[in-house]
Amino acid sequence: MEDALRAFVLHSDAANAGPKPDDRAVAGEDSDEQLMLAYARGEVAAFSALFGRYRQPVFGFFRRRVADAAQAEELAQETFLAVVRAAGRYQASALFRTWLYAIAFRILRAHRRKAAFRATFLGAPDEAAEPVTAAGQDTAAMMRQAVGRLDAMDREVLLLREFEQLSYAEIGELLDLPLNTVRSRLFRARMALHELLAARAGASTSANKEAL
Amino acid sequence: MIANAHPVAPEELMALLDGELGSEEARAVSAHLEECAECRRLAEQFRAVSREMNGWTVEDAPAARGESVMEEAVRSAGSGKPDGATRFVLWGMPRWATGGGALVVIVCVLAVSGALIFHGGPLAKQPPMVTFVNPQSQPSTGSFSADGQDTANTSSRRAAAELKALPSPAAVAGIVNQETRLAANQALEAAPPPAPVPDGSRRAPAYAGAEGKISMNGGGGGQTIGPAATGPMIARTVTLAIVVKDFPAARAALDAILVRHGGYSAQLTANTEENVQRSLQDSLRIPAPELATAMAELKALGRVENESQSGEEVTQQHADLVARLQNSRETEQRMRDILAQRTGKIEDVLQVEEEIARVRGEIEGMEAEQQALEHRVDFASVDLHISEELKEQFRSPSASVGTQVRNAFVTGMRNAAETLLGLMLFIEEAGPEILVWLVLLGTPGYLLWRRYRGVRSRV
Repeated sequence: MEDALRAFVLHSDAANAGPKPDDRAVAGEDSDEQLMLAYARGEVAAFSALFGRYRQPVFGFFRRRVADAAQAEELAQETFLAVVRAAGRYQASALFRTWLYAIAFRILRAHRRKAAFRATFLGAPDEAAEPVTAAGQDTAAMMRQAVGRLDAMDREVLLLREFEQLSYAEIGELLDLPLNTVRSRLFRARMALHELLAARAGASTSANKEAL
Repeated sequence: MIANAHPVAPEELMALLDGELGSEEARAVSAHLEECAECRRLAEQFRAVSREMNGWTVEDAPAARGESVMEEAVRSAGSGKPDGATRFVLWGMPRWATGGGALVVIVCVLAVSGALIFHGGPLAKQPPMVTFVNPQSQPSTGSFSADGQDTANTSSRRAAAELKALPSPAAVAGIVNQETRLAANQALEAAPPPAPVPDGSRRAPAYAGAEGKISMNGGGGGQTIGPAATGPMIARTVTLAIVVKDFPAARAALDAILVRHGGYSAQLTANTEENVQRSLQDSLRIPAPELATAMAELKALGRVENESQSGEEVTQQHADLVARLQNSRETEQRMRDILAQRTGKIEDVLQVEEEIARVRGEIEGMEAEQQALEHRVDFASVDLHISEELKEQFRSPSASVGTQVRNAFVTGMRNAAETLLGLMLFIEEAGPEILVWLVLLGTPGYLLWRRYRGVRSRV
């Protein structure tokens, strides 16, 4: 029964998904929280380890939400700088992962505000065209477009769950939503995305048929 | 897709797949999942979405750019508060330094402007240009004529007296106002030279400048009436406010004091309304020599709340009056002599009699004035206010509770109606203009806001 249950559980084992605390505990490594506290005491090596663990996930967080890759890298860097500056305020009671994404989310929101303001008063933002070279990039462009058609809040809930693997409670805290709302929004987002992807698949098959 | 009667909500199924259900719920939902094909299809759908999303990979983060983060980490590490040193930074300066600098600038600006305001600017520092006319250096001699043409002379006297009253020319420089100075100058110049007196014997008192000494050349011999001759004549005025405990007793005592000192009450107003603090306003006249003792007795009536005394010296005024009176009497006498000794036409006789009547009237007026003045000196004026110590008493309200409630209600309704009316009037008056501005400013604002919203949902 337990095994069957485990088999059903959704998993995100993409290369850039956040490392799981359990795995490291098994491997005998220090937890994120221990590392962060060690850095607050002055151990640079601890931060180096944390940076290594989270560099790619944080970049991914921004890369999926911001069209421009350079911009995403800049925001990721800004996030780590904020972590460095706020290290003195870190409390072990919060999971490092949640804390990190909360910072990243604040930086993202600030970026969006600025971008929207600029776009409103100084003209439309430069929509960086997605390079459609590799198969992976093709999927990325397709996903970005599909996800972009979701309701903004639904989209955020979905991305935080699928890629950052935050729990419902953590998402609720981050977006200031009640737990039930997180669940219903996530459900709605998944159903809508399913419809969108199905419609796209249908369209592309019919296009292929016509081409043949 | 899924009937309402389904025992497991699709959201619960999703929560199970996300590992967000408690063990009890998880067991129940997964048991249902095994049986229900529809739910299995839905679960497969969720998994498919997740799989598709996981296909959305991103490129590796550019390696080169991680260095600045590590540099910052090394710089901040071990400083105890990695946060504090760089958190409040404004243009490369800590916020306290910026704030302190701003404070210093503000204080400097305030100090400089304060100094300018209180000590005057460069222009204000120059002493004012004042040309002062010393009244004593330009003595004016005027003469009174009996036919009332002494206005220029009087004003010259007044202006000169004003200047005399000022402490000293040097101390006064800058205080004396331009108009006063001008008036003094004009008056001194305008004062006519001694007018030729028709019969040579009718001479008015001549004022030597503003010396305050009156020399009188009347009749034959010179006679000087100065303050030293009769002693100062002072009209005293006293104001006294007393609070007493026993109001009727105080009133009786007041009457007794007046009788004892030969004084009288010129005007009395008493307020003895019920349930109100009783009070009495009395304007007393008390013989000047008795004033001190009478005052002591009055003060003994109760607690003195307020007292003021003043004395006006009227010596000069009195002497002036006496001199003019004597002059007029002599004039009258001469006219009578003329009438008795000389003969002439009936017209001339009538004219002289008319003149006598006029001078007689003047004499009587001046006599009355003299009496009043002397009376003011003989009897001191005391403004006395006696009030009772306030004893608040329980008393029924003037209006019944019902009336008060009704009055309050009516007032409230009227106020409400007035407010509504005022609002309506305001809307009628300012509404169209506000509407115009709303349209003018609101439309672009709304369009910008919509655009902003649209962009935000896309970014």
